[in-house]
Amino acid sequence: MAGERTAFLNQMVEVFTSTVSFGERLNNMVHLLGRNLKVELALYFALDKAKETLFLNISSQGPVPPHLRVEFPVGQGVVGETAVTRKIKVIHRNHRPVLPVDAPLAKLHPAYQTLASFPVADDNFLYGVLLLMDREDRSITHAERQSVQLACLMLAGTLRQAILQDEAKKRIAELSVLFEVGKALSSTVELEVLLERIVSTTAKVITARGASLQIVDAVTGEVRVSSRYGRIPPEGPFPPPDFPGPGGPGTAPHFEAQAADSQGHTHYCLAVPLIFKGQLRGALCVYDKFALNGDYLPFDPENRQLLYTMAGLIVSAIENALTYQQVEELAEKNQRMVKNLTALQEISQALLTTVQTDKILGIILQGLTLEHGLGFDRAMVMLVDEADQTLKGARAAQRTPLLQDLPLREGLLLPLSQEIPVAAWEIPLQAQGPMITAALHKRPYHHHAGQVQELSPELRKYYSPPEFSMVPLVVKDRVTGVILVDNEASGRSLAPESLESLQMCTTEAALVIENARLYSTIEANNRELLLIRERMLESDRLAALSSLASGMAHEIRNPLVSIGGFARRISKLVEEKSPLRGYVDVIQEEVTRLEKLLREILDFTGENLSYYGDHDLSKIIEETLILVQRDLDGYKIKVVKEFTPLPRLHCDDRQMKQVFYNLFQNALQVMHLGGTLTIRTFPLDKEDGIYAAAAISDTGGGIPLEVLHNIFNPFFSTKDYGTGLGLAIAQRIISRHYGQIEVNNEMGKGVTFIVTLPVAKYCLVKERGQGAVQAATLKVSKGGRE
Amino acid sequence: MKKILVADDEMSIRLLYSEELKEEGYEVYLAANGREALEIVDRIPLDLVILDIKMPEMDGIEALRQIKERRPDLPVLLSTAYGEYRQDFATWASDEYLVKSSDLEDLKSAVRRYLKD
Repeated sequence: MAGERTAFLNQMVEVFTSTVSFGERLNNMVHLLGRNLKVELALYFALDKAKETLFLNISSQGPVPPHLRVEFPVGQGVVGETAVTRKIKVIHRNHRPVLPVDAPLAKLHPAYQTLASFPVADDNFLYGVLLLMDREDRSITHAERQSVQLACLMLAGTLRQAILQDEAKKRIAELSVLFEVGKALSSTVELEVLLERIVSTTAKVITARGASLQIVDAVTGEVRVSSRYGRIPPEGPFPPPDFPGPGGPGTAPHFEAQAADSQGHTHYCLAVPLIFKGQLRGALCVYDKFALNGDYLPFDPENRQLLYTMAGLIVSAIENALTYQQVEELAEKNQRMVKNLTALQEISQALLTTVQTDKILGIILQGLTLEHGLGFDRAMVMLVDEADQTLKGARAAQRTPLLQDLPLREGLLLPLSQEIPVAAWEIPLQAQGPMITAALHKRPYHHHAGQVQELSPELRKYYSPPEFSMVPLVVKDRVTGVILVDNEASGRSLAPESLESLQMCTTEAALVIENARLYSTIEANNRELLLIRERMLESDRLAALSSLASGMAHEIRNPLVSIGGFARRISKLVEEKSPLRGYVDVIQEEVTRLEKLLREILDFTGENLSYYGDHDLSKIIEETLILVQRDLDGYKIKVVKEFTPLPRLHCDDRQMKQVFYNLFQNALQVMHLGGTLTIRTFPLDKEDGIYAAAAISDTGGGIPLEVLHNIFNPFFSTKDYGTGLGLAIAQRIISRHYGQIEVNNEMGKGVTFIVTLPVAKYCLVKERGQGAVQAATLKVSKGGRE
Repeated sequence: MKKILVADDEMSIRLLYSEELKEEGYEVYLAANGREALEIVDRIPLDLVILDIKMPEMDGIEALRQIKERRPDLPVLLSTAYGEYRQDFATWASDEYLVKSSDLEDLKSAVRRYLKD
């Protein structure tokens, strides 16, 4: 007996340590047990995972058919009780009839008489119950019990090994999947590549036919990134669009669905949420699990678990990649900004080198179009013309590839090599259109083709690229112009950083252009001031001269009157034939000449004023002409008169006569051998009012160039006699009347003096029969005695 | 015989004028300034006065004003080396404003005009 037992145990150990699968080993052990104990039926009931039921797993009579389901709840029937008590139980049918709960056992072996049940357990766990059945009513010896108990321990050990191995396998599989995923995720930080790898690895690991991933902005719902791999059933099923919902972690369960397509194939989808820290959410989906025979299978809980684990890994990888992408974008943007700011700085420096508007515009346009500058294909400056209420083209340029190698600093100061002619561009400020409207509201304007609001035809006539940007030039809240840029030639779009820089550049440009404008105004004012100063100096000089001359003249006049007066008296007393007669005549003539000189000097220094009245210039000239008629006839000078009706002139007619008398005297002197004196009068409509003009032309050969600049100077004379005051007096009188005298010299032909005198407004009114009172008032205010 | 007063601070002028006017048949009185002229106007029933303007003690303009106060009917001719007093309102009270000249024809014809009866 002892030898048999040893042999049985040896066989059991052999099976226990064999390398066949655990299922096979268990099977063999149950058969061996039945055969050795010589029982008709040996059964093994396994405890299910929930540890609630024991079900028939192995039978010594052969494989248990799948449809045969024999099970006992823990604690019920012989099998259930053994599982709870963990004690051996032997029942004889004649002692204890079959209870209803054990009825299935009776079905398995209807003729059984003896039944023994053994717990299969180790120190920790119960794995199942071994049941032995035999038709004979037999007892079980102590030695048999020991053998079976030992065999049960071996069964338990085998089962434990099987479980451990199974778990280890799963763990290894999971780890290798995670390793694969980790490898894929860490291989790149390029978001696009990463996403492709994630979906392909996911599909392979889960053995799915297709996989997809989508990340959306949780607030706006806008899709940030998405990627697909493999075959995704076109008809679904798909997770709902709002999956996994906006809730926080934990509120987003997985999604699982199956649906038949139109051909009747069933498709499966499993999706798990991707939960990010920020305001992103997403889903990782797999479709149609592969079976070896080509069928599609549903996904099992292990797949789901794996997908969750992967999702956790993926989230941090994507977060990293997104951060990297943002950092990279920022770095690129920074680089562009630094480049643009450097360019702006260079432009700023260059603008300090000049105050001329034209040069300033050149620098700005170079800055906008050079590659190292802001690099636009084309740039234009238009300036507001306040008087015309228009926007006028100032200067424009296009990008030139010739200057690429030159440092910006030098390029900026070069003349524009590709200037675009825009001088004819003229857009009225009241033109309708979004560009002009924006400019007038001091707002920049960005235009791209297909914009709802159409550009005004006035602008389109000159300029209509598919995309352009306009920035207004604003100084002290006033729009002074606009800058236009586009990239039409290269077709690039206008980068936001470039436009930002353009705005900065425009702010400075506006100031610099305005400064240049102010500078040129100041320069013009300065020139005018200089001129006025010169004139004032001249008039000071004349005033000093006048006062000296006037003082002397008065002192001389009294003695002259005496000398002359007494000379006349002597002359009357001296006989005709006396030699004294000639002497006295010389005294008289010389005194007369001196007195004439005195009168001229005193006329020049302003002794005689105040014969103001409203006079006809043509009539004054006619009357003056009578005074020189004798000389004109004497010299055989032909007189041509072309008189046009003129408005009456408020003037001192005596002084005016003096003017023309002096001019006629000059003409007489240069034409003493004959010639033509042409006198024309005509009205002149100037910007500041109406003028009466007279032109006196002679044919005396003209004034030599070397003396021309001197002719209006007092005491300058080319004549052997005369005071040289003629033209100076004329000029003095005319400027007192707010008029002008000009000389038009034609060398070899003659001279034309043109006198222009302003016609006072009230004279014009009076011409129409009004304003007489006003005229009278004015006359008194002149202080003259009429 | 018509009585004429000549007031001028220049002795040579006084002499010239009186010679010329006497020749014309007038009785001539002389004064060297405005104050002397007024004394003569008060004393003598004059027919006409010729006044210089720039004179010491009292100038011709003041003398003209006082003469016209006392005898508004008495013609007063201003005979002066200056043209610019023409613009002085005070001289407008005179009957004639003459700028001195060695040719006394203007002066004499003016005198004749005022004393023709």
